Amino acid sequence: MSQLISRSDLTAWINALLAEYTVIAPTKVDSLALYQPVKRADDIFMDFGITALSPKEWLFPPTETLFTITTQDGTMKLEAPPLDGKNLIFAIRPCDARGFRLLDKVFLAPPADTHYAQRRQNTTLIGLACSKALPQCFCTSVGGAPNDASDVDVLLTEVEEGYLVNIVTEKGQAAVAQAKLIEKDVTPPSPPNLKPVSTEGIVEATLRAYNDDYWERLADRCTHCNVCAFVCPACYCFDVRDHINQGKTERLRCWDSCQAPGFTRVAGGYTPRPTKGARLRQRFGHKLLYYPQQYGDLLCVGCGRCIASCPVNIDIREVMEDLQKLGVKSVSARA
Amino acid sequence: MNQAIRDKAKELLASGAVSCVIGYDVGSDGINARPFFAYTEEEADGLAFDQTCTHNLVKYLIDRAGKATAIVVKPCDARALTVLINEKQVKREEVFIIGAVCHGIIESTWGQKGSDLQGRCQTCTQHTPLVYDLLVGEPMAEPTPKAPLDHRAATLANMSVAERAAFWAEQFQRCLRCNACRQVCPGCYCAECFVDQLDPEWVGIRIDLPEKWLWNTIRAFHLAGRCVGCDECQRVCPVNIPLGLLNHKLEEEVATLFDFRPGVKADVPAPLETFKKDEKLGIGE
Amino acid sequence: MSLLAPERPITNPFLPYLATVKGVTQLTPDIKLFNLELDDPEVREGFDYRPGQFAFVSAFGVGEAPFGLVSLPHWKAGVEFALRRVGTVTRALHDLEPGAKVGVRGPYGNYFPLEDYRGKNILIIGGGIGMAPLRPVIRTILERRPDYGDLTIINGARSPQDLVFADEFDSWATAPRTRLELTVDRGDDNWSGQVALIPSVVQELKPSPANAVAILCGPPIMIKFTLARLKELCFADAQIVTTLEAKMKCGMGRCMRCNIGDKFVCADGPVFTFEQISHLLEPF
Repeated sequence: MSQLISRSDLTAWINALLAEYTVIAPTKVDSLALYQPVKRADDIFMDFGITALSPKEWLFPPTETLFTITTQDGTMKLEAPPLDGKNLIFAIRPCDARGFRLLDKVFLAPPADTHYAQRRQNTTLIGLACSKALPQCFCTSVGGAPNDASDVDVLLTEVEEGYLVNIVTEKGQAAVAQAKLIEKDVTPPSPPNLKPVSTEGIVEATLRAYNDDYWERLADRCTHCNVCAFVCPACYCFDVRDHINQGKTERLRCWDSCQAPGFTRVAGGYTPRPTKGARLRQRFGHKLLYYPQQYGDLLCVGCGRCIASCPVNIDIREVMEDLQKLGVKSVSARA
Repeated sequence: MNQAIRDKAKELLASGAVSCVIGYDVGSDGINARPFFAYTEEEADGLAFDQTCTHNLVKYLIDRAGKATAIVVKPCDARALTVLINEKQVKREEVFIIGAVCHGIIESTWGQKGSDLQGRCQTCTQHTPLVYDLLVGEPMAEPTPKAPLDHRAATLANMSVAERAAFWAEQFQRCLRCNACRQVCPGCYCAECFVDQLDPEWVGIRIDLPEKWLWNTIRAFHLAGRCVGCDECQRVCPVNIPLGLLNHKLEEEVATLFDFRPGVKADVPAPLETFKKDEKLGIGE
Repeated sequence: MSLLAPERPITNPFLPYLATVKGVTQLTPDIKLFNLELDDPEVREGFDYRPGQFAFVSAFGVGEAPFGLVSLPHWKAGVEFALRRVGTVTRALHDLEPGAKVGVRGPYGNYFPLEDYRGKNILIIGGGIGMAPLRPVIRTILERRPDYGDLTIINGARSPQDLVFADEFDSWATAPRTRLELTVDRGDDNWSGQVALIPSVVQELKPSPANAVAILCGPPIMIKFTLARLKELCFADAQIVTTLEAKMKCGMGRCMRCNIGDKFVCADGPVFTFEQISHLLEPF
């Protein structure tokens, strides 16, 4: 027997959740689907395929205050901003949820990043299984699946009668407390088939190809914008600097990207990673070599956003394929 | 057309006249073109041109300064190239221009084949590049200009300043400051962009509305009289900010004030680089 | 989810300790020595670190940057940094006067394993501001002089005015079994010492690699040529140690600025032997 919620009860449930949580859900903004806080269930856009941006920003925001610096009566005080309230990300895709698993390893390792950890603790993830695959999708090749429930608190799967409700964690249990669930014998739909990408031996292949001309050739067409890093659910490079606004001083952390030319430039001008190829290698090196060596998984969830939004079609699947070939025999780099 | 491009590329590479041909090949979706650098005759066989060749490749020439290069350009790209030559970023003698007759570029997204022409192409008045060393494709009669397609242009023109500000605030709010617009723009080649400067720090690191607003508007001003309307910035924006509306508005302002269209004539400096006594300034007139 | 165990005490790892500038000494035309006192007495007592470790110093309103600690904790005389005025943070710090508030976040990184070097001859080579993180190494050896073999210090700079810690030279040079070689790229009217580049001084001096450790710090170009000279003298990569500099924003292996291939300068370093460096994927 499965637990099921009807479409109308789903609406009622979301409206009930809104009393307790800030509900962040896919919405339609102009022609884009984006995760935004919603005011009512009707604001949610369920037929979104994949959103333009991952919901990463709700745990790791583009801009956040690490602490404020105030001086009162000659005494300086550093204060961290107060905790956010309870958040619930509704209809998160399994790949995007897996992104949080990858970020957890970085930000929750001691010393835990307080800001990320507090948000993580106060955020409930209601997953939505994918009923169809897009051409850029390859989650099954990097450890995920269109119906993977392992990184969400509740997984919803759309069926004819409504949504199957798979409660995964205690947090999920708490979130469905107000949902009207019915027991029904429903066979879950089989997940969509995805074209596999070989990732076998990719860590070793990346290492073998480390000093190959491949990177400079690939970088020929790379524009070195930050799109790939900013749309990625797993990229986490950041910058930290102070900001003074109307007499208020704060230390901020903001998204950054290893592709930016000044990313590693030290005061005085020396840049250890001066070429476009070296910068591009950092991106793929991090995803396919450094992170896996440090934490085990590839730093990629297969959402395909970087593929679809790259201005010049640098396709990580193609890069993996090329790297594997490079290790075996000398091939002219596809650039 | 593909064959003409490949043949010329091979000839240029074989003779050593150029060391690289920058053109297009077919992307990883098997549908849409992407930029392609051919260094050998064998690689030149990968060159292709079709109605998905949206990228403006001329910016790549800046990185290849000092190295003779051939490049495939559409009419709009050729205008951008003229701007870069006029601004002394590219040396004309270092470039072999393969001009492609363009029937317009199809609006498409990765993985999907589109059918309609891009907005900029629907109102474009040029099929044949103004400058080239070799023309590929059959020249054809140039169309008559049409009104801008994006209805928002007319709507914006009729708005009050406050309404326009509200419109742009909503658009800019989505900006991620990913710099994709800058990185693809042939007009944005500063060694250090004002937004990256730390000392003085003109724009802080916040990815927040004041900084987004400042970034997008200053960039638009820096492009006034220089932007050729290739709309690459708008195409690559991951959050669909209609940057073309901003750039086209400035292009029209410059055309009205200075009777100038960038990249149309070689050796005519941009209005903001020069001063003429009889120029209208749009102040008190 | 185990990483979110509620029992783990969570303190904001980006929050620096407040400190007060106690003393500012002009070491060279562009390098100042800052003596800082951590404001919280408990923090001050517990702030332990070793030669080679670094900490971030905050200029509030601008930002923070990592700098090598150049004092030793048991001196109980404050935390010291030698800062060259070169970027936005160091410029703001250089403008500070005694009494000003700064932030100190750290210590981070590994350190020179001086315990392991007991009984060995030590060759210390510092170029310009690169001498700064070597000062606590020298002072540790001098404080425990009998524990170590011969100590040779080569300190070079662009000009005589650019030599750091000049007021300590006498005490270094007069210590038992210690030799101090000063050299400059360009002398002046008052300079009677050597005018030579550091690698040439090394070549001239011909230090023996027998039972020796060479500790290097300086600009990349100096490191490159000095390393070559040392190798000619048959120093093995494992006998040569350096401390690397990199842009950093966190010190916790997260911001992805200081990694050299799969190694982080902040977490795996900053102290590396050249044997370790030879295995790094990228140039440093």
